[in-house]
This record gives sequence, C-alpha cells and structure tokens, in this order.
Amino acid sequence: MKGMNNRFFSALALRNIKSNKTLYIPYLLSSIAIIMMFYLMASLMANQFVQERSSALPTLFSLGVIVIAIFSVIFILYTNSFVIKKRKKEIGLYGILGLEKRHVAKILLFETMFTSVASILTGLVAGLVFGRLFFMLLNYLLKLPTDIDYVVAIDPILWTVLLFLAIFAITYIYNVSQFTFANPIKLLKGKTEGEKEPKGSIILFILSLVFLGWGYGISLTIPDPISAISKFFLAVFLVIIGTYLLFISGSIFILKALKKNKRIYYRPGAFISISGMLYRMKQNAVGLANICILASMVIIALSTTLTIYVGSEETLENRYPFENNMSLFGDPEQPELIEQQFADLQAHYEQETEKLGLEVTEMEALRFQSIYGSLDNNRFNFTEAFDGLELNVFGQVIPLEDYNGMTGKNIELAEDEALFYHSNGKYTKEELIIGDRLYQLTPIENDFSAETGLTETIVLVVPDMSHIESMMASYKEQFPDGPIVGLSADIGWNTTGTDEEKKAYADRIRMQSYSVESARYESRDLQREDWYSTNGGFLFLGIFLGLLFTIGTVLITYFKQVSEGFDDREKFQIMQKVGLDKEMIHDSTKSQIIWMFLLPIVVATIHVIFAYPIVSKLLTLFGITNEKTWLLSFIGVVIAFAAIYWVIYRITSKVYYSIVK
Amino acid sequence: MALLEIKNLKKVYTARFSAQQTEALSTVNFSVEEGEFVSIMGESGSGKTTLLNIISTLDDATSGEVYLDGNPLSKIKDKEVSAFRRSTLGFVFQDFNLLDNFSIKDNILLPLVLSKTPIEEMEARLMPIVRNLGIEAHIHKYPYEVSGGQKQRVAVARALITRPKIILADEPTGALDSKASQNLMEILKGINEEGQTILMVTHSTRAASFSKRVLFIRDGSVYHEIYRGGQTADEFMDRISQSLTVLSSRGEGHE
Repeated sequence: MKGMNNRFFSALALRNIKSNKTLYIPYLLSSIAIIMMFYLMASLMANQFVQERSSALPTLFSLGVIVIAIFSVIFILYTNSFVIKKRKKEIGLYGILGLEKRHVAKILLFETMFTSVASILTGLVAGLVFGRLFFMLLNYLLKLPTDIDYVVAIDPILWTVLLFLAIFAITYIYNVSQFTFANPIKLLKGKTEGEKEPKGSIILFILSLVFLGWGYGISLTIPDPISAISKFFLAVFLVIIGTYLLFISGSIFILKALKKNKRIYYRPGAFISISGMLYRMKQNAVGLANICILASMVIIALSTTLTIYVGSEETLENRYPFENNMSLFGDPEQPELIEQQFADLQAHYEQETEKLGLEVTEMEALRFQSIYGSLDNNRFNFTEAFDGLELNVFGQVIPLEDYNGMTGKNIELAEDEALFYHSNGKYTKEELIIGDRLYQLTPIENDFSAETGLTETIVLVVPDMSHIESMMASYKEQFPDGPIVGLSADIGWNTTGTDEEKKAYADRIRMQSYSVESARYESRDLQREDWYSTNGGFLFLGIFLGLLFTIGTVLITYFKQVSEGFDDREKFQIMQKVGLDKEMIHDSTKSQIIWMFLLPIVVATIHVIFAYPIVSKLLTLFGITNEKTWLLSFIGVVIAFAAIYWVIYRITSKVYYSIVK
Repeated sequence: MALLEIKNLKKVYTARFSAQQTEALSTVNFSVEEGEFVSIMGESGSGKTTLLNIISTLDDATSGEVYLDGNPLSKIKDKEVSAFRRSTLGFVFQDFNLLDNFSIKDNILLPLVLSKTPIEEMEARLMPIVRNLGIEAHIHKYPYEVSGGQKQRVAVARALITRPKIILADEPTGALDSKASQNLMEILKGINEEGQTILMVTHSTRAASFSKRVLFIRDGSVYHEIYRGGQTADEFMDRISQSLTVLSSRGEGHE
C-alpha cells in the first residue's frame, strides 16, 4: 500500500471538504471567528492602556483570555462533533470500499490539517485587520484626549496558534476514535440510527446548582476589592461550568415535564418543537449555554465600562467635592505652622477671587488628624502610621469648630463627648477609649469626606484642638521612634464666573500653589481632562469587548440555526408528506422562540445580578461607588442587548426556515 | 360512482434549460371502486411513481384530471392541500418515513396532532389500530428500537389513524425481508377486507398477488389489467408473472 501516497490522501481530503461545503462553510466561518475573537482578546494584553492604567487590569484581562480559551475549546469540539456526525455514512463507506483504518485516519488528518491551518491563518489575519480598523473607528467616534493604539505583538499570535492547534488536535483524536471503534456497517447507518432520548440526570442537575450556588456565593460574600480580583476568576469559572450543567440537565427536565403534559404537548407547534429539542438536547443545551455565557460577558463588559464612563462626573465630584481643592500637609515638628497657613490661605483666596472680579459662593475648610490603628473592644489601639502591611482602621480626627463650620450645624460637645462615624457601621458601642481619654459617642452621617470604600474608616469629631494634641502625645509615648503624621487641612471652594474665567482662575491658583510648602492644589476642571484621558480607555475597551462577544453570539446562533436546519430538514420533508403545511412549520419555529430567545437572556441576567456585588467591589478600584449609575447602565445594556439578540435571532431563524421548508 | 377516477392523465417534464421534453405519463385512464385493493405494476421508469405522486397531490398533472369522490384534485387550493392530504389520504412509503425523534405512539398520532384532534379522540383511535397490527407492545419505543417489519406496520397505523378514504402505498415491501413482506401484505389484505380502499405501487409479484386487481403500466399508460376473482394467491401470482413476461417480451418486440 506504499503506492497510496500522501498526495492521494491530501487530494481526497480536499475533495471531501469541498463536497461537504454545506457543513464546512459554517464550521470554518465559526472557527475563524472564534480564533479572531481569542486573538483580539489576547492582543489586548499587550495594550498600553491595559498594562499601565491599573494593576488590576492585566489580571482581569488575562482572566478574560482564559475564559475565551475555555469557551473556544467547548465551542470547537461542539461544532466539530456536529460535522463529523453528519459524515459518518460517507466515512463508513471508505471502510466498505476497502480502505484500512489507518488510511481513513490519514484522510482525516489531512482534512483536519487543511481546515485548521486555513482557519487559524484566516482568523489571525481577520483579527489583525479587524483590530486595527475597529480601533481606528473607535478612536474617531469617541474622540478621547489621547488615542488608544492597537498593538501587534508576537506573543498573542503565538498563543493563538498553539491553543488552536491543540484544540484541532483534540478534534482529530476524537474523530479518529469515532471511526476506529465502530464497524463500517454501523457507520453507514450512523446518521439514521438516531440518538436515544437523553435521560435527565438528577445528579448533574444538583451539581449544576452547587456550582452556581458556589459561584454566586463567592460574589455575595466578597469582603473587599482586593480579594474580589483574586476570587473573580474562580467565581466566573464556577458559573460557566454550572451554566453548562444547568442547561444540559435542566432543559431535559423542563422538556420532559412539558412532554408529559398532554394538553401542551399534543398541539402541532409544541409537538414538533419539543420532540425535536429533546431529540438533540445535548447539542441544543450546549448551544444555549454558549449563548448565555456570551450574553453575560457582553452585559458585564458593557455595563461596567459604561458605568465608569457615565459615573466619571460623579467620580470627579466624589474626589473633588469643590471646584477648587487645596490640601495642606502639616509638618509634625512645627504644628503651629499649618494652623497659620490654614487661616492665611482662606483669607488669601477670598482676596484673589475678588481681584479677578469673581465671588466665592461656597467655602469649606477642615483640619484633621489622620490616625491608624485597630478597634478592639471599646478601645482604639494605635499602630505605627503607614504600617501598610496591616492596615486595619484608618481614622480622621476633626475639631468640632471645623465640623460646625463645614456642616452649618451648631453642635456643642462636653469634654468627654465626641461625634462618631464608622464606615461599615459595625462599631455600635456608645463609648470609645482613645489615647488616655474616654469619649461618649453620638453617631453622625458621613457628609464631609469622600468615601473610598477601600478600607474601614472611622471619623471622630472632638471638642477642640487640644484633644488632638493630647491624642498625638499618647501616640508618641507609645511609639517614640514611630513616624508621625502631622495635622492636615483641606480647603475647598466654588466661585462664580464662566467656564473660561474659572479655568483662568484655576491656572492662576495652581501657579501660586507651587510656592506654598507641603500643599497640593487640584481644580476639578483641570482634573476632568486628566480623568478622561486616563479612563476614557475603559469605555473604549468595553465597547470593543461588547462587540467581540456580540459577534460570538451572532455566530453561535447562526451555527445553531444552520446546523439544526440541516438536522430537521429531512424531518420536515417527511412531515410534509403526511400533511404538514407551511404555516405549521412557521408555528413550530415560532414556539422555539421562548426557548431559544428568552432562556439565555433570562439566565444571563440572573448571572449578572448575582455578579453585582463582586463587580461593584471591582468598580470601587476605579473610583466608582454610586450603585444607581451601575444599576441604570446595567438595565440599559440588558435591554439593548436583548434587542440586538432579538434581531440576530429573527434573521437566523429565517435562515433556519429557508433550510427546512 | 368510483371512489377514485383518473381521466386522460398526462405528465410531461420539461428540462429547465432546454426544449427537450420527457413524457412520463401519456394517457392514463382507470378507476378504483370503494373497497378495492388495486396494485399497479410496471418496470422502473414506467411512470408508476409519477402517477402515485399526482394522486397524492405531491405533483401536478400536465393535463387530465384525478377525481376523488367525484371532486377534481386540481381544484383544491394550495392552502388546503396539506389538510386534504392529512384527512383524506393515508401514506405508506418504501423507506417507512418514520421520525426518530418521536416515539412509535407519537409517530402514529402525528397526522392527528397536525389536524388538532382532541387528545381523547386520538387515544381512542390509537389502541384498536395498534392492537390490530400487533405493535401494541412497542408504542413507547422509538423507531430505531424496532425491526423493519414493525416499522412498516407503524407506518400503516399512521396511515390508518386518520380514517382515510384511500391508502396509497409506494413499494411498501421494498425494504423488507420476505417474511416481513408476507406479514405486511397479510395485514394490508386484512385491512382491505374490513373495507379500506388501497392503491399500491409495487415491483413484487408476491405483494401484488394479495390485491384484488393488478394494473400493468408501461411507457406512461395502462397496458393491461387482471382481476383475481376466485383464484388463490399462488394462482394469481402465476398469472401476474405470465402477464409480466408477455408484457416485457412484447415490449422487446416493439423495439
């Protein structure tokens, strides 16, 4: 058999692909698209914005790469198994015609080589072109202060080639094993033999609930943003596995229950669609789970980035409560200096404003002492300042005078009384020992400082400055050599004037501030520009990912409808012979809508609702704390995506209909 | 009046991109009375299948008409054609045409479900038929779990359940071994004896010998017909064989 050379087998393989083009075109198209998707996602790892904006971004993106890699494995195995099932008869024929199994394996090898090389190459080229074009388009549309460049790096290309070669190798092994262990006669009948109706497995169903519950639980119980990053991947992974199991086992239960109900089942539309779906439930369920997972990814990617973008104004207000913000950092060696500066600067800014013909509309000034330590029973124990390793509780101590001035209240405190705020509200005792003093506490709301949400914070308003001094004296006694943080002060004010006047004013104050020792001046307007140039990239990447995943959804829906169309074609032809009319075909495709359309969207929405706690923790890393913005953009994105998916669904179901009729 | 009447039926196929025409049926005339069991025999390409397709409303005639109960089939509107096929005709095909995704029971009920028949009615009709055909024990199985002979009996049950005016069978024994063929034909004969009209197209003289009348078709028209009368199946089969021999030798003589 040496005479049968490789050229013969490769020619045969090529001819096979050509003669099966109705199967191979959807298969190749969806492989190309998923390769493109993976490559684009991987190439974002090399993106400057991702690398430099925040240390959390590379982690989150590598996680995204892994998720898409897992997804690619499942997707390609799923599409491949569909193609090979349809070809059983043809390949069985080779055995009958006298080809040995190793020859069949060789033909399959060439086929796999051709399809994988073609789809990997095309996928990479498409990725390069699409990435470049799309970045150009987005830069043009969003008009961010700085363009975001599309970086082409070698690593992502290498990863893509290796991953997909591995995946295609697995499909090859799978295909060969399908034919090695089967006898040709059986293969010849293969397609018509039919699968057994799947038995619903209660174990799988329970397992799916366990995985989902575990994943949801991680999200619900996440304590802080730092652990959110590390646990996010585990949660995503668990939910993905849970989703597949849920769709595979859950849908069988639902369909069987529907089938048992004779009033529902024995109606033309339901009769055809329920039995059809049960018949190829596993394939169907994997397809639905794929759509569901992609939908969740689109919703999360878009709604979070939209939140960051829309919430940016609010973030600015959060960080810069006033148009003009001056922070003073006192020298612990010369505590009286900052007291002097504090009073002088307030007067100075009033004068400066008048000089430019503007008026101060609002001014707040606040001195505060930062302290670090832990809450232990009813005592605040100091730790050394900046003991970064164990940052327990961050405290701000404010004199009553400044608190009253800022809030416009007129509160009086006795020598052993203090106002108290605790960020997580867990400290509910009515007294607190700090240094050598005991205070009776009155709880207050936080209406004075920006909530960072990153650490546990307390605020203590004490009767006067002498309390702060004695507090610091206790600290020094306890840590004679420890670092000392001096008193700080914030001055914030708004002025009248047009945008230009305000900008000129801010520039002038900023110039002056350079000569003030240990001070930082920030103008909200000047910061806004900065902010958009650092964070506009989020919206950019969000839209990019959203689009990427939407393309994935389109493809899977398309592949699902086309493959099922070919599956159902013969079935519908038989039914037409015994009297099925066109209208009923339409009915039966329509009754799949609820199943095909609503189910993935509803489950995806549930996923995203449960992802809410962990995602909002992650958002605090980027300065977003307003949940309302998140909620609104979330609802908006869900509705928008549902609408897009509806269009996709309608178009692809027309494709399905045109195949079966 | 005859149940089925075929008058001057002609079918000409025209190739799409040429003026070349192929005549599948030249002039076909015959009728089937209610309660008859008629076989149509002829060689491949004689026009049997075309004839059956036109009677089944799956194809249109070029000229001529098919009357069922005195009503011309060509007058049935497109929209009603499926409903007509469902309620008036029963089909048995060579390759069974059962659906793997339905259980045997659901396969049988399919035409009734499509006609939106009430469940009670469907179930009431199902049991006597499956009992009669001896597939009672299998109704919860799937087509791929039963033998070829059983599959064809399921197909017969599906044809019977709508209580059609006529059953059209296209080579029903074509995919069966001789034992299963024998069994199926006995069933069809039994059904006919209970009053069901059957029109069957077949190659098999053995199968045809179960019917009451055999029509021979050649070159697109009915060439000859013989009645069984009081003959036994074996005697009738001999006559059919003789007719076929004569038919083919005359054919050769022509050419």
